[in-house]
Amino acid sequence: MVEQQCTIYINGRQVGFVKDGAAFANEIRKNRRQGLLSGEINVSYVRKLNEVRVLTDRGRARKPYLVVEDGKSKFTEELRKKLQAKEIDFNYLVRRGIIEYLDSEEEEDILAAISEDKITEKTTHLEIDPASNLSIVINSAVFPEYNSIGRHSLISNQSKQSQGLYTINFKNRYDARAYLLYYPQQPLVNSSAYRQLKVKRHAAGQNFVVALTTYYGYNMKDAVVINRSAIDRGLARSVYYKSYSDEERRYPGGQQDKFSIPTPNADGYKGEHAYSKLNEDGIIEPDTAVTEGDVLIGKVSPPRFLEEQTSFGITEEKTRDNSVSVRTGEEGIVDSIAISETLGATKIVKVRLRSIKIPENGDKFASRHAQKGVVGLIENQEDMPFSESGIVPDLLLNPHSLPGRMTAGHMLEMLIGKSVSIHGDLADGTPFGTNGKELMDNYGKILEENGFDKFGDEVLYDGRTGEAFKAKIFTGVVYYNRLTKMVSLQLQVRGRGPVQILTHQPTEGKPRRGGLRFGEMERDALVGHGASLLLKERLLDQSDKTSVWICKDCGDTGYYDYIKNRATCLTCGSSALREVDISYAFKVLLDEIKSLHIMPRVKFREE
Amino acid sequence: MSENKNNFRVAPGEAVGTIAAQSIGEPGTQMVLKAFHQAGVKSNLTVVGLPRIIELVDARKSPKEPLMRIWPQKSDLKKFEKVVELKRKLEEVKLRDVLEKSEENFKNASMSITLKKEKLENYSLTEREVYSRLSKLEGVEISNENHIITIKITKLRGVERSIRDMRVRFINIRNMAISGIEGIGKVTIDQTEDGSFYLVATSNNISGIIDIDGIDKDRIYCNDPFEVMRVFGIEAARNTILRELDDTIRTNGITVSVRHSGMVADTMTFYGNIKSIGRHGVIGSKNSVFARAAYEETVKHFINACVFGETDPLSGVAENILIGKQINVGTGVVRLGIKKEELKKISAKSSKKE
Repeated sequence: MVEQQCTIYINGRQVGFVKDGAAFANEIRKNRRQGLLSGEINVSYVRKLNEVRVLTDRGRARKPYLVVEDGKSKFTEELRKKLQAKEIDFNYLVRRGIIEYLDSEEEEDILAAISEDKITEKTTHLEIDPASNLSIVINSAVFPEYNSIGRHSLISNQSKQSQGLYTINFKNRYDARAYLLYYPQQPLVNSSAYRQLKVKRHAAGQNFVVALTTYYGYNMKDAVVINRSAIDRGLARSVYYKSYSDEERRYPGGQQDKFSIPTPNADGYKGEHAYSKLNEDGIIEPDTAVTEGDVLIGKVSPPRFLEEQTSFGITEEKTRDNSVSVRTGEEGIVDSIAISETLGATKIVKVRLRSIKIPENGDKFASRHAQKGVVGLIENQEDMPFSESGIVPDLLLNPHSLPGRMTAGHMLEMLIGKSVSIHGDLADGTPFGTNGKELMDNYGKILEENGFDKFGDEVLYDGRTGEAFKAKIFTGVVYYNRLTKMVSLQLQVRGRGPVQILTHQPTEGKPRRGGLRFGEMERDALVGHGASLLLKERLLDQSDKTSVWICKDCGDTGYYDYIKNRATCLTCGSSALREVDISYAFKVLLDEIKSLHIMPRVKFREE
Repeated sequence: MSENKNNFRVAPGEAVGTIAAQSIGEPGTQMVLKAFHQAGVKSNLTVVGLPRIIELVDARKSPKEPLMRIWPQKSDLKKFEKVVELKRKLEEVKLRDVLEKSEENFKNASMSITLKKEKLENYSLTEREVYSRLSKLEGVEISNENHIITIKITKLRGVERSIRDMRVRFINIRNMAISGIEGIGKVTIDQTEDGSFYLVATSNNISGIIDIDGIDKDRIYCNDPFEVMRVFGIEAARNTILRELDDTIRTNGITVSVRHSGMVADTMTFYGNIKSIGRHGVIGSKNSVFARAAYEETVKHFINACVFGETDPLSGVAENILIGKQINVGTGVVRLGIKKEELKKISAKSSKKE
């Protein structure tokens, strides 16, 4: 029998065979650690397919590990001291094969211990830090190890939506949408990765004084109550930038767009009022307050179709209004305007609107422990609970949000944040880097020394009655994010509004001021209730009701001739017609059937 | 009592069909997630849950897991031996079920088989019985020599004795029933809580067993509405659909009033044969062109309506919603029922008073 040979692939290309693949892979690793091979080579042995894969491609994501040999980390105590004394650096360790970078392929081959005391005989690698097996987003959160596991993916999603200082040069940028927090703060409790990555330069939140209490039902089911005075002082205030842009396009045939105020005879002219804020060049001035429907960039385009030649020679050139106006539901002040040229040498204009978003009912907030909630009430400071020392919380969080979700990290952050804010310190909350009991003891002690309860509980007084609450209330300081989902950008109502041309039914979607769909299941619900008139109102009167004249003789649709003052049927010439209310969709259906050369006739029951 | 009864009457114009659909459909969404399986004797009930309901409602011609419950006649209900005897009478045993070895010899077109003793005993058969059953076969010669039965093909349908043809024949012989009723499949004995025995067969062959002695003809139960309809008629089929729907829903731990499943069963069997809930069944036989066109295959219905000059009486729900009329359900069924002449009399009376 032929001996099974192990196939070798370099970057996916087959290059040869060896007898023992595992040994071959180990040989490569050994040479790599000795510096005989480049440290950027990764190798893995796939037992199932009996093949060795060597990868040297660019663009592989790689992660550093400490090498473990014979059950001992190669990063010895001696090296640690040298590193602390800055005699050696990280790259020295990489060159010496003490730290090696592994790609996802090679990671399949190893057994990495999370900490030094977990090393066994089989261990091949050691994590540099227990937190290094977590993602960047989770690493910049605090105390994730005290939260339940499912919360982490939610944290990842929510912290990505937070508003902050996303870049310093925001003044020069024309992002389609941008959110800037007025007074971003660095968190009182942060993590090692947060410091290493210098995330505080782009801080995206503020430290809120939070009391864990219910408040007259205004913060039930994940709602939060916010202190109005705190908002007036600038808490969680942000600015929203929205950019509009347009350019002068060239069309085949030498025609071109032009930025200018359209003349009233232009096709699609929006009315004098809409262009009233434009300058002579057709572009709006900075610092103009605009609301929905106002034109920002006036643009005149050539007509969509070529004009027909008339016998009178040159006709007046027709134009089409192609202006950019503020979208429905948006408003603001023109912040700045940029006029430039594109690569195709056409003029381009960008207009940035600014609007200040003050927290209001329905805005969304989240802590770094997947505790998101919307504002249920903005309460006057004098009516909110206050403590003996006169501290009034910024935010009231419902205590019911904690036990079910098991986010103990949230409470830990509250306690430590409170303790640390007494002296203006910062605290560490690196994943797996702390001991919960020690934290509680140390920071509890600071609280106790300063006259607080060591568990963070406080006697709070009801701002409305002045009486102390019967229970002590857990109060602390937590880092809160204001998320980009704000009601003022989501709000949408419609009473009457635009309809579709084809069906005469209301339009769909927020940009078109659309209605909410009354779908098939909703229809069935009304049928089930036997509410026939309500159903008719929804589906006909409030939708696409039309009145049509129908011939009693031939059953075809006719019309009412207001000149002769009689109804007329064009099919049979009769004037015995009757006006009926039907849905416009049905009229369209009748028309479509007629277009197929089928004659649908409407019969009337004997009167 | 009778007053109470009237309180539970359905009001005129109630949209019973829609309510039934919603009442079955809503818990049905939960059943999708519940992959429920029961182990044990009743393991032959494997198609449960939503697939089974879809099977019933779609009126599939034969169920995926056919099943019959056969009860012995009343005097034998608690006599185990009698039931075993009945089982032997019914259960289909194929030749291959009792084979130990079979060798095919294509040279002289013969197959020699050896029977396995234990298996024969299991089915309470003897070699002699098998032999006599085989000897009834046509076109073969049979010889028994030292417990080896040799079957030699003497006449093959085709002119040529191709190996292929021979093989087909041998396979057919091995699949032949040597006892029991053909097409009845596996039969197991089950016991109710009060100790009476009954048989469960994994097939839908009522007509095959109904004439066998020792069976309680009134109690045969089959889960195939079509087989029930063929043998007992449409009313029995309706009951089968109702019972199967209700059982399936109930085994999933959901309670739906029987009135709703009954509505489905009634609708399906209303036309005298079983119609599915769908475009080939109930919906396809609606008498409104618009209602049919609104559901599926719009063009087909319009073209047919055009060719035959159909008239839509606008009596159902779908067509009235389409054109924008008040629907004929609930508050929409109420009409003014006064005759014009009567109205005149009333107005004459009231004017006299004045």
